[in-house]
Amino acid sequence: MSADNDQQAREQLIDLAAQFYDQFELGEIPHMSVPTRTKNNIEYDEDKGVWVYGDRESTRSANSVRGARKLLKAVYTIEFLANQLEEDRSSTLRELYYLSESWDNNEAQFSDQDESNGLIEDLEIVSGVTREDFHMRPEESGATIMGPLHLREQTRRGERDIHCQEDVGEGGYQIPNNPDTIEFLDCDADFILAVETGGMRDRLVENGFDDEYNALIVHLKGQPARATRRIIKRLHDELDLPVTVFADGDPWSYRIYGSVAYGSIKSAHLSEYLATPAAQYIGIQPADIVEYDLPTDPLSDSDINALESELEDPRFQTDYWEEQIELQLEIGKKSEQQSLAARGLDFVTETYLPERLSEMGVI
Amino acid sequence: MTSFQSTLEDEVGIAEELAESQQAISIAEFFEKNKHMLGFDSGARGLVTAVKEAVDNALDAAEESGIAPDIYVEIEEVGDYYRLIVEDNGPGLTKDSLPKVFGKLLYGSRFHAREQSRGQQGIGISAAVLYAQLTSGKPAKITSRTQGASEAQYFELIVDTDENEPEISVEETTSWDRPHGTRIELEMEANMRARGQLHDYIKHTAVVNPHARLELREPKNHFKFERATDQLPEETEEIRPHPHGVELGTVMKMLSATDSQTVSGFLQEEFTRVGKKTAESIIDEFRDRYYGREMRWRPPTTGEDIDLGAAVSAATANKGADATAAFADAIADAVADHDRIAHHELVDAVDVAAADAEADYGTTFGDTVRENAVEAVWLEIIDAADDTEADSKSDGTAASRLVAELYTLADEATSTRKDDEIIHAFAERLAATFDDESEADNVRHRLTRTQLREFVDRAAELTEEYDDVSFGETARENVTDAVWDVMATVPDDPPLVRELDSDRDAASNLVDGMRAADIMAPPTRCLSPITEELITAGLKKEFDADFYASATRDADVHGGDPFIVEAGIAYGGEIQAEGSADVMRFANRVPLVYQRGACATTDVVKSIGWRNYGLDQPGGSGLPNGPAVIMIHVASTNVPFTSESKDAVANVPAIEDEIELAIREAARELKSYLNKRRSMQQRRKKQNVLGKILPEMAAKVAEVTDREEPDINDAVARIMNNVLVERSVKENGDGQAVSVTVENNSNTAESLEITDIVTAEPTNLSEDATVVEMDGEWFVKWDIDVSSDDEAALEYVVPDDAAFDLDVKGVESEKLTVSA
Repeated sequence: MSADNDQQAREQLIDLAAQFYDQFELGEIPHMSVPTRTKNNIEYDEDKGVWVYGDRESTRSANSVRGARKLLKAVYTIEFLANQLEEDRSSTLRELYYLSESWDNNEAQFSDQDESNGLIEDLEIVSGVTREDFHMRPEESGATIMGPLHLREQTRRGERDIHCQEDVGEGGYQIPNNPDTIEFLDCDADFILAVETGGMRDRLVENGFDDEYNALIVHLKGQPARATRRIIKRLHDELDLPVTVFADGDPWSYRIYGSVAYGSIKSAHLSEYLATPAAQYIGIQPADIVEYDLPTDPLSDSDINALESELEDPRFQTDYWEEQIELQLEIGKKSEQQSLAARGLDFVTETYLPERLSEMGVI
Repeated sequence: MTSFQSTLEDEVGIAEELAESQQAISIAEFFEKNKHMLGFDSGARGLVTAVKEAVDNALDAAEESGIAPDIYVEIEEVGDYYRLIVEDNGPGLTKDSLPKVFGKLLYGSRFHAREQSRGQQGIGISAAVLYAQLTSGKPAKITSRTQGASEAQYFELIVDTDENEPEISVEETTSWDRPHGTRIELEMEANMRARGQLHDYIKHTAVVNPHARLELREPKNHFKFERATDQLPEETEEIRPHPHGVELGTVMKMLSATDSQTVSGFLQEEFTRVGKKTAESIIDEFRDRYYGREMRWRPPTTGEDIDLGAAVSAATANKGADATAAFADAIADAVADHDRIAHHELVDAVDVAAADAEADYGTTFGDTVRENAVEAVWLEIIDAADDTEADSKSDGTAASRLVAELYTLADEATSTRKDDEIIHAFAERLAATFDDESEADNVRHRLTRTQLREFVDRAAELTEEYDDVSFGETARENVTDAVWDVMATVPDDPPLVRELDSDRDAASNLVDGMRAADIMAPPTRCLSPITEELITAGLKKEFDADFYASATRDADVHGGDPFIVEAGIAYGGEIQAEGSADVMRFANRVPLVYQRGACATTDVVKSIGWRNYGLDQPGGSGLPNGPAVIMIHVASTNVPFTSESKDAVANVPAIEDEIELAIREAARELKSYLNKRRSMQQRRKKQNVLGKILPEMAAKVAEVTDREEPDINDAVARIMNNVLVERSVKENGDGQAVSVTVENNSNTAESLEITDIVTAEPTNLSEDATVVEMDGEWFVKWDIDVSSDDEAALEYVVPDDAAFDLDVKGVESEKLTVSA
């Protein structure tokens, strides 16, 4: 959050505008190239062990009316971000969308928030500056940590030292938007348990799982925010903690695991910064559905499509995932984390997790 | 008995009485009662028809004399009547012909001519005169001045409706401002309710006659239609009739009028597209119908116990043994050489053999000998020689040779489902009819197709009756065809023309033969199409549109008459956009304004899927909507109309097909125009949006980077794939160096014509440019071709204070960016 950092981000943005300027002057059609953000254009970077964008690029060019509008919006957004950095303010993605309404040019206004979000991603990639450094933040992540971890957070109101069991309530420690402002002081945890749903996270806390097994319980809250993924990555890298992911037994949950472990398609340019390739999947595995005879729902058509599309997703092309996904397609069923309650409220903490974790060699 | 007799006497009286009241009806009287047939059914329509007939006549008259028509039409209200005046600049009429042209129905030079012309029957203008006379009681007033005449003649003319003869009531000389021409003045009961049709007629006439000047003065209006070209329509040439289109009556008249002696000469002289070879093929067809064909039978094979040589020898007496033997062998060999042989072919063979024998042996083989030989052989071939006849009759099983042959033919011609027994029985019966013919003095087996069919019918009916099977129409026809095909056309000379002249049946055979023969399509120099170029000129003259297309098809034939179809389309501009497109119909350059719905042209326009050609068509059929005019011209020596009033073209398939092809040809051009226009519109739209966004983006980029606003012309030209013409001026000592660069960003090569108007004299000019001074300004002209993605530059030097004005042509404005 240093002024230097801000200055650098600002210069990167203005360089981008200058690039358009030079294109005009040279009589070239103004354009900007970004990697194509689809699953067909991500490839495994063996050196870094994460999935990154391949060589395919899409060009945003003023050649067409649509492209010209996009570039006009980009220039207006660059101006806005540059001003924001200069004034040391920040705003949310949603605020940017509404803010465009106040711009003097109708053509530059965003038609929906997906468009403005997409543009910020474009600018991140082209300028090499993360959106956190643009001072853009998501609405709220609300994801939390509970466990034996002592840390120091830089807040706008000064430094705060927090122990993630002793200094927090039942809700746990709330992860800030930019986890790079956190300094880890002390850690007694043995591993990280990232949990998809709030209900299961509460069950684990109530049953004292964090205490009993020295686990850092991170609540993912569905598809994890960047901040959540970033802090998991830092905890793994800096404190050398093994990472496990505990989610529902359906295709959407596998994608949650995928974005923790391999990086998401949308932010593959940041994979190196966000993904934790060593993360392991606990369950619910399709094999568990069979083994524990869990209560199930039938797969819907969209579930089946999602599973089939995962089979083609390069991130899931491992023996383990192919076996699991094919098994699930075969049995045609899915189960939630909380279906384990069918065996009693303590089944998950006393039987399922200890069994799976020792199988995986974590405990 | 007596009373009956007296009744009869009474009836004779009644008949006489009736006969007294019966009399000839004059054409004029007939017209009086049937005005509607000629388009004079109402006052409104009558006026339009009168104008139409008078103008058509005037156009024809002027064109025939090679004069560009200048026609004046005036309509005046005169008390209860209307006065119609039509003036032309034609050659004028002599005193002799004038009354007949205007006052006698069915008088004209056109009716008998096979040549495209507006009028055909010679009814039109005289009908108008008659109509005027009947409704107003006033005579027609005609002024005419022939070329070179010092004074004009003035006539008043009435038609004697009893006699169909014109009567001149007033005749005097008068002065007239036209050097030559004709003026007709008619007073008639009429009204202007059909004003719309009248205007359509005049306007449409102007479209298809771009070489004519037309003027129409009405009580409240005045229209002038000036010439678009001085080029007169190509003169048509009268053609002789085509054999495929003539009727029996015509042929009989021609037969009695011709100087030719032979039919072949007659055909070649009087008809088009008939040479010696075609005449011969027509005559062959005629022979088949007039004389019939001769049946060709198979000569006996070695397996059969028939010795033709012996038969000949037996029939030949007193010619010496050697000569007779040679003669007989020669005939037997000649016959054996034939696959099938007809009687006249046998006669030829015998003649050849006789001539050879005469030459070799010095013995005369006279007619009697030859006839005997022919008879002997022929009877063997048709199995009618006395001995064989006895054989077949005595044992009853050995079928005659004819049966065997007819069985083979019939078996091949009929369906395989028929029983062999049945076919055999049928063949026996058919053979029996041939035997009957032999008895009945037709030993040559010469039959027309009709007779042959009768034989087959008879045999088939007997077969149906005795064998209780069906022998249907198709089977009978097939058998007839099979037999007819093996029969031979006879070599008899056709009758002479004078013999045919008095023989209706023979003449009819000749007409049938003419229709059956394969004859080349008639020549088209008798037609005068408007041509694509002049259709476009005509449309341009009368419609202020954005786009014009036209198509002239090649000539085709229907019923012996050649015809050509042309189509034109005008689109956009000032043409009314609401409602459906206008269809203009023309036949031999005459506009058709009534009975649109009954016309083949309208039917075809409606049947075309106009959506394919970029026009709106509700429901996908019917007349298209939008600012379009579709014109169709059918030119023919005989346009088939649905009625005498000549308002609608009849639905003749050959003509409809050509109409469709002509319209589609023009419509394809319309389609590519509309597509191009659409893409230009899109380009314009894109240019409009980008023209706003890009400068804003440039301004914002300049603001963010804190620099001057960038020059975006090059980028814009490149984005629009445009051609960019840009001037750059550099100080160069005491003058300035000017460079005009052309940068072609489009994907096609472009040719530009650039004119730079400079206020001071340019020097050091690029080689390919020229400069002209005019009133102190220098016009630098530079024509340059620039291929796709290429550049070219015009350079020169001028003094400091010069000003420039750049003009660029040759590139659509949507594709051009000029910054100079």
